[in-house]
Amino acid sequence: MDFRQQLIMRSCALALGIAGLGAALAQQAAPAIPATWSQGRTAEQESLNLVPNPPGLTAMALADIQTSRLKVPAGFKIELWAYGMPNARSMAQSPAGTIFVGTRFPGNVYAVVDKGDRREVKVIAKGMHRPNGVAFKNGSLYVAELSRIIRYDNIEANLDNPPAPVVVFDALPKDEPHGWKFMRLSPDGNYLYFQIGTPANITVQPVTHAAIMRLNLTTNILETVAQGVRNSVGMDFHPVTKELWFTNNGRDWVNDELPHDTLNHVSAKRMNFGYPFCHQGDLLDPTFGKGRSCDEFDKPDMKLGPHVAALGMRFYTGKQFPAEYKNNIFIAEHGSWNRSKKTGYQVVRVVLDAKGKPAKLEPFVTGWLNGEDYSGRPADVHVMPDGSMLVSDDEAGAIFRVSYDKK
Amino acid sequence: MTLHRSLEATLGVAFFSLSLIASPASAAPDAAAGKAKSQVCSACHGEAGIAVVPGVPHLAAQPPLSVFYQLVQFREQRRLGGGMEALVATLSDQDMRDIGAHYASLPPPSAGQALAEKIAVGAQISRQSFCQSCHGENLQGQKHVPRIAGQSADYLTVQLKNLRSGARADMDGTMGSAARALSDADIDALVAFASAKP
Repeated sequence: MDFRQQLIMRSCALALGIAGLGAALAQQAAPAIPATWSQGRTAEQESLNLVPNPPGLTAMALADIQTSRLKVPAGFKIELWAYGMPNARSMAQSPAGTIFVGTRFPGNVYAVVDKGDRREVKVIAKGMHRPNGVAFKNGSLYVAELSRIIRYDNIEANLDNPPAPVVVFDALPKDEPHGWKFMRLSPDGNYLYFQIGTPANITVQPVTHAAIMRLNLTTNILETVAQGVRNSVGMDFHPVTKELWFTNNGRDWVNDELPHDTLNHVSAKRMNFGYPFCHQGDLLDPTFGKGRSCDEFDKPDMKLGPHVAALGMRFYTGKQFPAEYKNNIFIAEHGSWNRSKKTGYQVVRVVLDAKGKPAKLEPFVTGWLNGEDYSGRPADVHVMPDGSMLVSDDEAGAIFRVSYDKK
Repeated sequence: MTLHRSLEATLGVAFFSLSLIASPASAAPDAAAGKAKSQVCSACHGEAGIAVVPGVPHLAAQPPLSVFYQLVQFREQRRLGGGMEALVATLSDQDMRDIGAHYASLPPPSAGQALAEKIAVGAQISRQSFCQSCHGENLQGQKHVPRIAGQSADYLTVQLKNLRSGARADMDGTMGSAARALSDADIDALVAFASAKP
């Protein structure tokens, strides 16, 4: 149902309401105008009583963070690296080493300074609106809020007294659903890439939404990079080809096994990855897929699992892990809510073959999920200059560090 | 929005530091401690968590996480209203968990009054809008989602209208998108249904 049809139905409902109270009142609820988020759910699924997980709003106390439960492959080690950062999510690093951390709730941005034996956490911004995206360029920290991008110049010299931000771009949509941004600086430093997610679970979105965008930092012109992307909360550039790879969160409510979240890459202009008509490259939408074909759309490179909530991803560009990890992709799976048995809640490793195609998917860090209970939710990964890898956890409000000790 | 912007401007330049002193494990939420900490709250929300000031929400029998989440949002100035942001500014996470546990332990408010006809329409709109999916089959709330059964009608009306207009930003857009589909008459009926629910 498009907006105009909704308006007509709404007018009908009103007219009925005025016509006569008794009979019309009983009919008023008949023209269903479902809330956007509930579109696509079947009657049977209503009884599943699935509700999104309460987001992590506060940081766990040190003694409550269950680092010892986390498991990594033999030879690797995982340790708590920094904590006390409510809802710590997206990470970006400055050349001097400071890690900047964005959040969705309640609205802080953090700077983590490594002091060797300990990390100092500073809150550099507070009260922002979903400041999830962070990127660093030429001494400036860029932060993507829900509907605007701002910049803190010369930030590292002023971590204890940050300057007022400069507004870079403030004309982004204000929709709350899937409105928070993941943001990444292009390898040439000329563009900020980020997504504009679809404003509902499943809907025919405005042409502005369900897209990956880039902002030219010289001209301030916004361009569409790819369309039909429901909500990408993780992107990185291939270290060799420089192409953009990204994770995409599949729709809710098809069933427990469908659709998968996906790993994709952009190899041409005007690509369309299918939303809302086709999911995971080969699944026509039960509602919006009618009369369409998945052949109309570009295909994902890999299916990652149903409802795993694949968020932050990075190529492994470090030298510390064994040689076979070079240019692997690591993905933080935030974990499912829209599934009767929980899945995800881990960091996975994707190995590319000689042709650069994803060939293998395996768990890398696990242990956050114990039965149907979780002790943390990984949100982003980041490769450090020394080759170790950071993993943010927005449930614990903490960052873990994975390292490899070659013996 | 203007208020949000000016708050952002004020806060953007301020600096906040977090203590890095190793903290002990957080204690389990303590309803008895919460009762002691909620003395100020009871001036408006009532000794028994039943509001004594019109338009103020009842807190009795709210899920503990629901009260906790709203208190955090007030403290972090992501939700404004009723002077709450100033009242809770100095509360710690533990204080807020204790207060949540206290109100959760109290008996629920008694159901309000409304016209049976209006309640019936509200029940239909509630089904159609899937309110029960998150607020629970009896609108009793769950996890961080508030109890709306027996809630103050004035309060519910203002909140739904603020969520619809965007004056109150919800956590993930769910309530905003749910409320945007509602007319004033829908809200009226929905509020009658929820507030009269035992």
